Amino acid sequence: MSHSGMPHSVGGHGHRASLDRAQVTLPRAGWAARLPLVCGGLGAVLLAVTFLVGKGNPTQLFHSYLVNWFYFATLAVGGLFFVLLQHITRAGWSVVVRRLAEDVAATLPVVALLFVPLAFGVHALYPWAGHEAQDPVVMRKLAWLSEGPFLVRAAIYLVVWSLLGLWFWRQSQRQDQMGALALTRRMQAVAAPSMIVFAVTLTLASFDWVMSLAPRWYSTVFGGYIFGGTAMATFALLIVLVLLLQGRGLFDGVVSMEHFHDLGKLMFAFVVFWGYIGFSQFMLQWYANIPEETNWFAERLTPGWKPLTMAFVVGHFVVPFFFLLMRDVKRHRTGLWAASGWLLLMHWLDIYWLVMPGLHHEGPRLHLLDLLAFLALGLLFAGALAFTLRLKALVPINDPRLAESLAFENV
Amino acid sequence: MSAATTTAGSGPLWGVLGEFDSPAALYRAAERVRDAGFERWDTHSPFPVHGLERAMGLKRSRVPIVVLALGLAGAAAGMGLQWWVSTRAYPLVVSGKPFFSWPAFVPIMFECGVLGGAAGAVLGFLGLSRLPQHHHPLFESKRFERVTDDRFFISIEAADPRFDKSGTIQLLERAGAVAVELVEGA
Amino acid sequence: MAEAVLHDVDPIDRRPPLILGEPDFHGITEAVARPIEWKPPLGWWIVLGISLSMLALLGVAVAWLFWEGIGVWGNQIPVAWAWDITNFVFWVGIGHAGTLISAVLFLVRQRWRTSINRAAEAMTLFAVACALLFPTIHTGRPWLDYWMMPVPNQMAMWPQFRSPLMWDVFAVSIYGTVSLIFWYVGLIPDLATMRDRAKTPKQAQLYGIFALGWRGSHRQWHHYERAYLLLAGLATPLVLSVHSVVSFDFATSQLPGWHTTIFPPYFVAGAIFSGLAMVITLMSISRVAFKMEHIINLLHFDRMARLILATGSIVGYAYATEFFVAWYSGNLYEFFAFRNRAMGPYAWAYWTMVSCNVVVPQIFWFRKLRVHIPTLFIASIFINIGMWFERFVIIVTSLHRDFMPANWDYFRPTIWDISTLIGSFGLFFTLFTLFVRFLPMVAIAEVKGVLPQAHAIPHETSPSVPYRQEEGARA
Repeated sequence: MSHSGMPHSVGGHGHRASLDRAQVTLPRAGWAARLPLVCGGLGAVLLAVTFLVGKGNPTQLFHSYLVNWFYFATLAVGGLFFVLLQHITRAGWSVVVRRLAEDVAATLPVVALLFVPLAFGVHALYPWAGHEAQDPVVMRKLAWLSEGPFLVRAAIYLVVWSLLGLWFWRQSQRQDQMGALALTRRMQAVAAPSMIVFAVTLTLASFDWVMSLAPRWYSTVFGGYIFGGTAMATFALLIVLVLLLQGRGLFDGVVSMEHFHDLGKLMFAFVVFWGYIGFSQFMLQWYANIPEETNWFAERLTPGWKPLTMAFVVGHFVVPFFFLLMRDVKRHRTGLWAASGWLLLMHWLDIYWLVMPGLHHEGPRLHLLDLLAFLALGLLFAGALAFTLRLKALVPINDPRLAESLAFENV
Repeated sequence: MSAATTTAGSGPLWGVLGEFDSPAALYRAAERVRDAGFERWDTHSPFPVHGLERAMGLKRSRVPIVVLALGLAGAAAGMGLQWWVSTRAYPLVVSGKPFFSWPAFVPIMFECGVLGGAAGAVLGFLGLSRLPQHHHPLFESKRFERVTDDRFFISIEAADPRFDKSGTIQLLERAGAVAVELVEGA
Repeated sequence: MAEAVLHDVDPIDRRPPLILGEPDFHGITEAVARPIEWKPPLGWWIVLGISLSMLALLGVAVAWLFWEGIGVWGNQIPVAWAWDITNFVFWVGIGHAGTLISAVLFLVRQRWRTSINRAAEAMTLFAVACALLFPTIHTGRPWLDYWMMPVPNQMAMWPQFRSPLMWDVFAVSIYGTVSLIFWYVGLIPDLATMRDRAKTPKQAQLYGIFALGWRGSHRQWHHYERAYLLLAGLATPLVLSVHSVVSFDFATSQLPGWHTTIFPPYFVAGAIFSGLAMVITLMSISRVAFKMEHIINLLHFDRMARLILATGSIVGYAYATEFFVAWYSGNLYEFFAFRNRAMGPYAWAYWTMVSCNVVVPQIFWFRKLRVHIPTLFIASIFINIGMWFERFVIIVTSLHRDFMPANWDYFRPTIWDISTLIGSFGLFFTLFTLFVRFLPMVAIAEVKGVLPQAHAIPHETSPSVPYRQEEGARA
């Protein structure tokens, strides 16, 4: 049965009694129409430039590409995680921001396509396809770590993620049109097994794409580690997106400090979770002191890498922990900008720190290609996102829990 | 129109006690009492009524500060203890690890921090609430026994500068009290 | 068309109200306080009797242990420690669900927790007491236990803080302390309720002393709420850290099957999993015995069953990841440890574990089974059996084939191992049975706070409002 598109709620504490459509629709023309084209075009050009510049230095090129591609891939798949989580928990508060996460997840097909260049870089990136292929330990893993299976699996992960991202995006779109409760029920039902699929694919993808850069090293919690950083970055991204949109005069009276507070709390929770997993991983391998494990950390504690490692721990955990602990920060625009922007940067640094020591043993060497790849992939990601944001309203207008979300008040 | 008010306890007048039968009534009445400018007054309920701090004009609780301070102190103490024991008091070489094996000291440091924080929470709460306080004039009131069951109360002390016996009783009655009681005692 | 009144009643799930029967505040007080005021039913005496006899068995087992020494557990090779450590981890794990329900569910605003958090927190305290039993007695010479304390002593010696066993001492005792603080703070308003209802002056005094003179003042509630929120915020990382520290006992070693980085989150998930099962076991019986089916109703079981499914899935994920990485690592010893678990002399224990922990919770995909009490009760028992076996499998399969062939042996429990385990259940059930007799087993004040009538401000109503008045909205 259809509902009208105007859910009501009783006023109180300054919340709008009904949803103002204009607040949640991107303008038809103007900056919103130009953005996808500009970003996409510029991004494509920069991508070409990246490859031109990197032609003579394939190892640097592909490492830079991997760092940045993986960064945006985790942001995209993090959007999917957010959507799944909200459906599984039947959350009401988050409905106003869920559409943004759906749109982020809907960029997964673009992200998947952008993996293709990496397929050509397998030999340059992965020692098990290159100079360590004859290592006796690596040879035991050849059934898993060889080019064919690796690429097939990558295709599977990316296709599965894209399908899930698109499916949830589409069901939510249909709900905008039809308002059927059955659609929400279906999304909830599918979300739970999808979460299991998400966990398994993210784990194996992180093993394949990042952990195998050091083919003799292994850590069972590595998937969990990547998950922690991904989730944290997702909340940061959502906060930044809302702040950007509010800067453009949208979402006023829709997303309030109450929602930011919750997003901030969840971001804080995942800063802590990431720190917990990261510390456990480090401490356990440090404690047992087994060379085949400690080598990986030793590489990151050389005189060249140690300063960055220390700064990274302080910047990714210690500072955000105390900063986000304060209630007022999570309810303050500038505080949220600072915290989210900073954490998005820290997440990038995390991936740089995971990938680059395999290439630059002496210490971090920021390269032009790092910057070019970041800009190129970032613009393409932004363009894809700007495109998906335009296709529907910015909130799920007929979601049955929208009214609850609009009136949400925090503890 | 003021009905006959009862008296509880004996001795000098401590204050008046208004009884209400719902949280909403209590909330609205509290706003009135706040707006009338009283300072030495309180509301009482069987469970915390959401938003009542606003209706009463209370300042933010300082419990978080106590928690933070004791939490940090606890963590510092935990790390300090381990550092002192492992580097000064009884240094032992264990599996080749340095004397100050900070990664191995993090778990206990963290636990001590949590203990400090928890102590801060309970001590802060008790201290700021002035508990334990086993004796209070309000306990003389029979009606007041329902405060832990299903009734809501506002108490206004006679020591408040704006207190005026009949005026304050009238205020409470107009604010919706189902009963008003005079409370005597020290 | 939906009425203009906003309800928290979920329009999708049409979930049943938090508390059935639309009681008022007084109704809640009566329902929870009266059972403690009348004479307990015969069933209570029977359960107490059985628990006390099991506790007596514990007394005998521990006394004999102290008299004869740790050899009565067969402890001459590492693998013989199996039951002592398994039992310790088992009990600590069970405690974690109580803190999850109290603290984590509070932080994520799950109001249904108010019906079960008091009993769950009590369960935590008793489980931690049972857990602490094992480190206390396992030295066989408990009068020397003070060697574990960082206090100046006559030998001028200090503990070795780099040992995970020392971390355990701090973690588990601090966990017990903080849980006690959290539980007690929550109890204060309810003790005041009992004080004000007391039938005899002695009762009033006893409850009154511990109620600290609480008088429901908002100036106090104000600080109380902040403290409660902060305690919840502290207890959450605490619960993560405690079982992580317990997992460190194993993971910091170099033993194949023990040394793996996923242990901390895996153990925590497993702990919550087993604890929730124990809550279900206890609540299924208590709610009937004390006629509180309307307060602890099917909604609560449904929610707990879903959490069991989620945490059980995490445990399953960990099993799969460990197995895969054991192969992927190329480390032949690691891979042997896992093949040995599945196909070696302890395969019977391994497959028991897998069927109880991975297969059994899958029934909770089906709503009908999530709210069918007999199914829940039986499943919860199997889950706890499975979780006991998980610790057993981890410990024994790695120790019975460790690096020194002299240590290789097939473990068999001694009669004293068995008595101590049964006895620890006796301790747990005795404490819980006494708790439900003398203290309110539901958090009275908190439940009142989530009733629909509890809100002062009109637009906030709680899920307790019967949604049938929304039927018209489905047109």
